[in-house]
Amino acid sequence: MRAPGRIARGLLTDPDRPVGFRFDGRSMQGLTGDTLAAALLANGQRLVARSFKYHRPRGIVTAGPEEPCALVDVIGVSGREPNRLATTLLLHEGLVAESQNRWPSLRFDVLALNDLMARFLPAGFYYKTFMAPGWAWERLYEPLIRRAAGLGRLEAIVGDHAAPAETVHDHADVLVVGAGTAGLTAAHRLGTSGLKVMLTEQDVVLGGGSLLDARWSAWRESVCTGLAGLATVRCLPRTTVLGAYGHGVFGALETLSPPEAARFGGLRERLRIIRARRVVFATGALERLIAFPGNDLPGVMLAGAAHQYLRRYGVAVGRRPVFFLNSDEAYEAVFALSGAGIECVVIDVRDSSLAAERARALGVEVHGGAVVEGAYGRDGVRTVRVVDVTGRARRELAADCLLMSGGHSPATTLASQLGARLTWQEAIAAFTADLAPVIGQMAGAARGVFGLAAAARDGESAARTLAAQLVRPVGAAYPGVDLPPDADVTPIAALWEVRGPAKAFVDLQNDVTTADVRLSFREGYEHVEHMKRFTTHGMATDQGRIGGLVGSAVLAQARGVPLWQVGQTRPRPFAQPVPFAALAGGEVREHYRPKRRLPLHDWHEAAGATFVSTGLWLRPLVYSHRQGWEAVLNEARAVRRSVGITDVSSLGKIDVQGPDAARFLDFIYANSFSTLAVGRARYGIMLREDGMLLDDGTTSRLAPEHFLVTTTTANAAATLEHMEFHLQAVWPQFQVLLTDVGDQWAQFAVAGPRSREVVAAVVAGLELSNEAFPFMAASVATIAGVAGRVFRISFSGELAYELAVPARHALAVWSAVLEAGKPFGIAPYGLDALNTLRIEKGHVTAAELNGNTSADDLGMQRMLKKHDDFIGRALAQRPGLAAPERLQLVGVRPLARAHRLRNGLQLVAPEARTTSLGYVTSSTPSVESDGWVGLALVAGGRRRLGQRLIGTSPVHDEAIEIEIVSPHMLDPENLRVRA
Amino acid sequence: MSAPESESMPRATPGIRLASCAADIVEIAALHGRAPELENIAGARGLDLPVLGRVAVASGQLALGVRPARWLLLAPPAHSGATAARWQAACGRAGAAVDLSSGLAVWRLAGPQVRDALARACRLDLDPQVFPAGSAAATVMAQVAVILAVLPSGLLLLTPTSTARHLRAWLASTAKPFGLVSEADVTVGVLSGDQAT
Repeated sequence: MRAPGRIARGLLTDPDRPVGFRFDGRSMQGLTGDTLAAALLANGQRLVARSFKYHRPRGIVTAGPEEPCALVDVIGVSGREPNRLATTLLLHEGLVAESQNRWPSLRFDVLALNDLMARFLPAGFYYKTFMAPGWAWERLYEPLIRRAAGLGRLEAIVGDHAAPAETVHDHADVLVVGAGTAGLTAAHRLGTSGLKVMLTEQDVVLGGGSLLDARWSAWRESVCTGLAGLATVRCLPRTTVLGAYGHGVFGALETLSPPEAARFGGLRERLRIIRARRVVFATGALERLIAFPGNDLPGVMLAGAAHQYLRRYGVAVGRRPVFFLNSDEAYEAVFALSGAGIECVVIDVRDSSLAAERARALGVEVHGGAVVEGAYGRDGVRTVRVVDVTGRARRELAADCLLMSGGHSPATTLASQLGARLTWQEAIAAFTADLAPVIGQMAGAARGVFGLAAAARDGESAARTLAAQLVRPVGAAYPGVDLPPDADVTPIAALWEVRGPAKAFVDLQNDVTTADVRLSFREGYEHVEHMKRFTTHGMATDQGRIGGLVGSAVLAQARGVPLWQVGQTRPRPFAQPVPFAALAGGEVREHYRPKRRLPLHDWHEAAGATFVSTGLWLRPLVYSHRQGWEAVLNEARAVRRSVGITDVSSLGKIDVQGPDAARFLDFIYANSFSTLAVGRARYGIMLREDGMLLDDGTTSRLAPEHFLVTTTTANAAATLEHMEFHLQAVWPQFQVLLTDVGDQWAQFAVAGPRSREVVAAVVAGLELSNEAFPFMAASVATIAGVAGRVFRISFSGELAYELAVPARHALAVWSAVLEAGKPFGIAPYGLDALNTLRIEKGHVTAAELNGNTSADDLGMQRMLKKHDDFIGRALAQRPGLAAPERLQLVGVRPLARAHRLRNGLQLVAPEARTTSLGYVTSSTPSVESDGWVGLALVAGGRRRLGQRLIGTSPVHDEAIEIEIVSPHMLDPENLRVRA
Repeated sequence: MSAPESESMPRATPGIRLASCAADIVEIAALHGRAPELENIAGARGLDLPVLGRVAVASGQLALGVRPARWLLLAPPAHSGATAARWQAACGRAGAAVDLSSGLAVWRLAGPQVRDALARACRLDLDPQVFPAGSAAATVMAQVAVILAVLPSGLLLLTPTSTARHLRAWLASTAKPFGLVSEADVTVGVLSGDQAT
């Protein structure tokens, strides 16, 4: 079964390998190598979409990524994927595609009524029309407008079905973007110069415009063979450079070929981050549309697209084409179609040209000095009305497609992203970009040099310039094949618009007409960027590639200034839509962010721990998988009554050494450390420069010039950075060395009234009596045969020791402690029990050290040094930071023992229940007493001890009576820790 | 005209072999302005400390320079802390030595597709022309800190122990198309090229 539009053998298609697919429920057949668009055209499917705003029928306009209209949904295993371009989507067996933005069907779309109401829906209409009542915009108007307008709908594609993608970093001396004759020549020359070259091409094959000209196939074969033989050149077809970010960094998206996708486990896309010393933009030129009434009818296409469908896929886009053009370059399509036996009629705005003469000699009917006044037909082009440029002689031509070409604009998007200035070139009626030589070169049609041979020579000259810059001898030219000569051409005659009564579009994807652009001017939006925002011209996913300049030209005409004064809107990355999955790359699911595991992670897991993420760490929350507080309270009770052990290896640990170590710490900490004796530990607080609390922890003096700083788990990285910054930038003369030893040392807290007996059983060479090793003592010791450190510090409020050993010995030492603790019923406790114990004791953690609290707020004002300087001292003395009405740390208890507390509970006075006096920061059921206890930050809290407030959580519909108490709810005299 | 084939073509045979290495790791750091003294001290002990961005190999030891005036030394495992204590004593007043044997995991990556796999996360150009044998660098891969060095027997990778398992899992899934196999542990002697693999 041969599709009606398939009239020849295509360069890319295989006639022996048919492919079945479905479009809007209709089964069709294409060929391997087809894009969806080529297969649809071959099957005579001209109507493929409804437009964004007016729901007008639309067809395929281009043959590449610049396509504004032929966007489809693809239905696959991963769900419905919207806005895929039919012009780049490769056909595969079983492909299911559907048209978008229509209901109930593509042929009969209810909202096509919008088109009839168009005079009430001009650009910006909704901002003017839907103004009152104010509430209705969000709730009524916007949802309705969003449903009526728009293209594909995004369905959440989540879970294991998300299309896999990855990111790859690449490096090259020169990145060559585009593999037409200019890019191929440049890459080859640079490669033979010994430079490392990366050549990217968005097409599935290399060759660019030379693919459309049979005379060039020998040359192309020769260069591609030459490139394949160069070890330093990498060619990446199917790869689109999306962004140029400066300093030689480029982002590119590679779509994997089916065999490579299979090898990479179904991987579909690869984001390439390319770093190159220089770039060659050989990105070619894009054909422009012409704005005339009916220029959006299915069947109105770019002339070059018709040429591509014929050469690449053997598909005739119509049997009775009318060409509407203004340059000799566009005649290449005429020659190709007429050579394939299709009878062509040409409407050329110019009176005469060399190409027109050649066409006439081939028997083509050419009407010089004429324009198309309009294209007509119901769901596609049927007639074309032509008028003499003088406006007198009219005629109507029957046609099944209208192939337009308003000239070619160099593709300067990427250069513009790098700040290249655009210069108007009258000779080609387009802008070119001036790229700074230190960035690279424009080459070929991208520089406005049209003609395949001229572009190839231009690519060579770009390569020579770069090779000289990078101090390389220029390599040899490819051998053997001469460049087929370019034909002489008559210059283009600029033509942007043919005015008429019906809609003429400058942006087909966003339904922006010439009238919208003029309205924008009349409304005062005269700058091209303002016009863009008023009309949405060029804001669609195609970014106005084929009509952008036409919109500028219409604006220039309205303003009465030359086009170069209006200019173009500034393009930004991404040059083309990118799926989020490709940006996320491999950093999804379990690789979304790193997890830090404790040295004893496996032991905790085997012991039945439920883990909790704290920052990047996975820490045991409780050694039970059951819900509720019972297991937590059992763990905490063991500590209060006998002994428990917990893994505190996630604490930050910083080794501080050097002759100025003590002096340095005196500056870093708000309290003094130079007075700390060797073999002792001290609790310290550090402030930020602004006087607020940064972190707390204990620091031990292991030797006169050797300290060990511990930080909270949450602030470990920030504290090290803070210290490094001050050492490197503020006091570089200090003789101090900082080393992060957080992962080196495993640390366990052994806590409870029986902890001394347990620790004594595993520690050798250290007398543990209260006299020999009192509270806040620190020492090196041998622990279970391992050289380690013992600290008598307590976070639980009980007699406690912390044992530190190198992490690789963690399991042996932990096991030895458990063995030694067996007679006392030792049990491991998790983060929840640790919190219970510290809340009862009134110790603070990240919940209270939240960046908004001062030392005074947390009752630590007396720790600040009175005389010597330290970081944050000056700003900590701001009177406001010690104001009596600031939120201060207190303890809280519900009056009724049955009531529970919640973190975040707001505290209010019974008589003023809508004024927050503060909130609960930490809460837990208590093991020391019945009921819950908590810590809170309360306005003037220290004056309120004994007061009764209401703890309220409106979102939970809760309000309970609570009492303000001292935060030191357990053993305020510190008798237990000193026992 | 087919395009030249992509170089990241997976093969049937393992493209990457990963071996762990048990080593004593000591970081020696010079106090402000005293790096030359430390270099002399190390030199006297048969170890020429490398310049920044290089790895030096000497008598069964490795020394990496990836931070100014600091070196990571890798030596065969000795009694816990003994290597660090020896260097701490040697450093004298010029600097300090800190034991990081438990703080860093040490892997050796070998095989034809190590660079292809690492390019999925590593921003550095590991092309031998740019990062030849003897090069060392600190960077970030898969959001985790790593230190890389090129040895004759393969690529040395050091990473903090707490995130090592995360990086290993990332490597396992990323390297799947290339084939990743775990090898028997290697010694510092093998890494430094003193012993055959």
